[in-house]
Amino acid sequence: MLDLNNIDVHYGATQVLWDVSMRVGAGEIVSVMGPNGSGKSTVLKAAMGLKKATRGEVILDGEDLQGKSATLRPKRGMSIVLERRRLFPRMSVRENIQLGAFTRTHAEAARTMDWVLDILPDLQPHLNATAGKLSGGQQQMVAIARGLMADPRVLLMDEPFLGLSPIMVRTVSDIMRTINEKGVAILFNEQNAKLSFALSHRGYLLESGRVVLSGSGEEMLEHPEVKRVYLGQRAEGAA
Amino acid sequence: MLEVFGRRPYLMLLGLALALLVAPFLQLSDYVLHILTLFLIFGVFASGWNLTLGILGLKTLGHHAFFAIGAYISAIVAYYGGVSPWLTIWIGALVASAAGVLIGFPILRIRSMPHVAIVTLAFAEIVRLIFSNLKDITRGELGFWGIPPFEPITLGDTTLRFGIGNAIGSYALAAVIFLGVHLALLALLTSRTGLTFLAIRDSEAAAESLGIRLSVWKLVAFSVSAAVVGLSGGVYAHYMMILTPISVAGPEMLITLLAMIIVGGVGRFFGPLLGALLLTVLSELLREFGDFRMLLYGAVIIAFVFAAPQGLAGLKLPRLRDRSAAKRDRTA
Amino acid sequence: MSWLIEIILNGLITGSIYALVGSGIALVYGTTRVLNFAHGELIMIAGYLVLFFSVTLGWNVWLASFLTLVMVAGAGALLQRATIAPLLARDDWAFRVIAATIGLSIFLQSGAQLVWGEQFRTLPYFFNGVAVIGDVRMPWQRIAILVIALLIMAASALVLYRTPLGRMVRATAQDAEAALAVGIPSGLVHTAVFAISAVLAGAGAILLSPLVSVNPWMGVAYLLKGFAVVILGGLGSFGGAVAAGFLLGLIESFGVAFAPTEWRDVISFTFLIAVIWVRPNGLFAGRGA
Repeated sequence: MLDLNNIDVHYGATQVLWDVSMRVGAGEIVSVMGPNGSGKSTVLKAAMGLKKATRGEVILDGEDLQGKSATLRPKRGMSIVLERRRLFPRMSVRENIQLGAFTRTHAEAARTMDWVLDILPDLQPHLNATAGKLSGGQQQMVAIARGLMADPRVLLMDEPFLGLSPIMVRTVSDIMRTINEKGVAILFNEQNAKLSFALSHRGYLLESGRVVLSGSGEEMLEHPEVKRVYLGQRAEGAA
Repeated sequence: MLEVFGRRPYLMLLGLALALLVAPFLQLSDYVLHILTLFLIFGVFASGWNLTLGILGLKTLGHHAFFAIGAYISAIVAYYGGVSPWLTIWIGALVASAAGVLIGFPILRIRSMPHVAIVTLAFAEIVRLIFSNLKDITRGELGFWGIPPFEPITLGDTTLRFGIGNAIGSYALAAVIFLGVHLALLALLTSRTGLTFLAIRDSEAAAESLGIRLSVWKLVAFSVSAAVVGLSGGVYAHYMMILTPISVAGPEMLITLLAMIIVGGVGRFFGPLLGALLLTVLSELLREFGDFRMLLYGAVIIAFVFAAPQGLAGLKLPRLRDRSAAKRDRTA
Repeated sequence: MSWLIEIILNGLITGSIYALVGSGIALVYGTTRVLNFAHGELIMIAGYLVLFFSVTLGWNVWLASFLTLVMVAGAGALLQRATIAPLLARDDWAFRVIAATIGLSIFLQSGAQLVWGEQFRTLPYFFNGVAVIGDVRMPWQRIAILVIALLIMAASALVLYRTPLGRMVRATAQDAEAALAVGIPSGLVHTAVFAISAVLAGAGAILLSPLVSVNPWMGVAYLLKGFAVVILGGLGSFGGAVAAGFLLGLIESFGVAFAPTEWRDVISFTFLIAVIWVRPNGLFAGRGA
């Protein structure tokens, strides 16, 4: 459904992504795992069009979106939950969520709003609160709600667990599973290998801006390299 | 460093000195010497301003205030106190420097470029209005005339006279000040101090983490920069022998100098000098079309911001680098 | 008592113009982070336009004002499209925009001087008669400035806080990337904001034109005052700029009551620098549209 083909990205003269290709199938949860500075966030921003790729294609259901405005993505069924929530801090929660449906009609938005509040019922009592004053966990809920308001077929989530308490991490991963069960594909990135691959159907390992490994969630968790470097376990055979 | 100073800055300065030394022997008319004198004075002004604008990276827009302070203080002390202009220009520079520190303090607390730009611009407006309003002393916009020129000096059997009308002496004096200031600036900026300024420009946070005390260094830069500009103002006052607040501290002065620095290259050591030379000459050529001068400066600023944001100095550098790279390839 | 009322009224009248000019600059800065030094020339252009329509062509003053506002909105949009938008994509754009708009400002001033010369012309009063409030006599024209300016700013606030366009503007101001991500076309928002700020400046020019002569430099003084207001109000805050505009007007009118008129601007700019020194974030902290 969403295909990233041979993406290169530069920040000024510095290249940060090298020939990155990824695929998100319909209804899949796909994770991008990698250490700090490996380019995980850049992959998502390039997919969303917030960062211009210098080479490659971003294909959503056969349509190449690379080079087209970021504002086209929500209309085509793709939205993003940005790193660190990035709400509109001085607007109400309701306004924040409504803006997620910016590209859609009022009737569609109202329908989706009901659906979203069904998935995230905890937001109901806070709708009139100022978004910037909520706790980090609540803000993440609002950010997810805003992302869902585009009624996406694929939802990108940039570091959805960053800065959350362990309880909130579980809540957010439960929400992600729920969303996925409703038919929304998810592409997210996360630095923790266990969290990353336990939640996803398939995963990619990114190092220094290159995809070095990919496979199903279980395969990734069992891979000796992942075990050794990212799970702190010694490879089999060693004492 | 290379980007700021070019390959051999001292050699470049020596070349400039030789050119300035040769110029008077070319049988130039007094009028041409007058234009060159103005170029030398504005060259000092431009370099002084470039110190904060380009080298430290603080986008100040009020340096014409320091020019006015240097000019008026020197003129007032010489006129009313009967003190020799040879001394008063330094007093003017000192007062300008103190004013630089004074306005530096509120600026230290702000990191946003628009704040700095607006506060310094407002400061310049205050200075202009003060000189304009103190009519008992400065005669306001009617003009402060009768400013004494530098006293003549006698070398052997030739006597050098100064002030407008004495082209050769004024030119020589402006050239000496010009070379002296640039030699001092070059020594300062290629030392640790200059490196510190450049570090602050590139990243304040990184510089701070290296233990550089931002506030102290910014104040140092402000005081040096204001002193240099103030000195150029003093020389201007005793050369022209008449001042009006609007001509030394008005928006046209700001535009003129900004155009010189942008045309030459913001943050390049020699760039603004080239800009000062080109624009001084150009504006003299256009003197008879007086009304067009500011139109031209405005257009020139816009054109350079769009087409050559690094200025003329920035245009030259890549070519030099290509050539030297090609040379390396050949020898390899 | 009446002298006090007069000082306050005069302060509010001057302040309303500062607020109009300053809130436009604040709106642009808050949304786009651009400091537009050519904002004063939008005032000047509007001044010449209203002069042309209402005096040269002799049209009804309301029609002339309406056409002026429409055209100056277009000029603001054009300014943003032609000079600012192309610079935003480059590095070090903040200073380049400042330099380019300074250049544009002086270019437009000199251009106007060449086209219209140095003649200083004023419009006739829109409103005749003098209001008498106790012992205070005030021309209706001056009172109208205050009332109309307040109405215009209220209308702008309504647009900003109660319309879809306003919501787009506020979203872009609060987080430009997030706004882009939900599909808000930020480029169009930037252009719209410049048009709105031009309308605010143009309204100021129209209100001033019977009192102040229309000339190539008429925007210069108000630009610097507008900048002062924007900083005092907290850079980028619309409401803060409006409040600071009135405050500055009052300070000036009280200042002039106790000191010679020619020291007025010294007082206001010294106040600005003193405030920055003590409160770098302005008097009314809490930012943004």
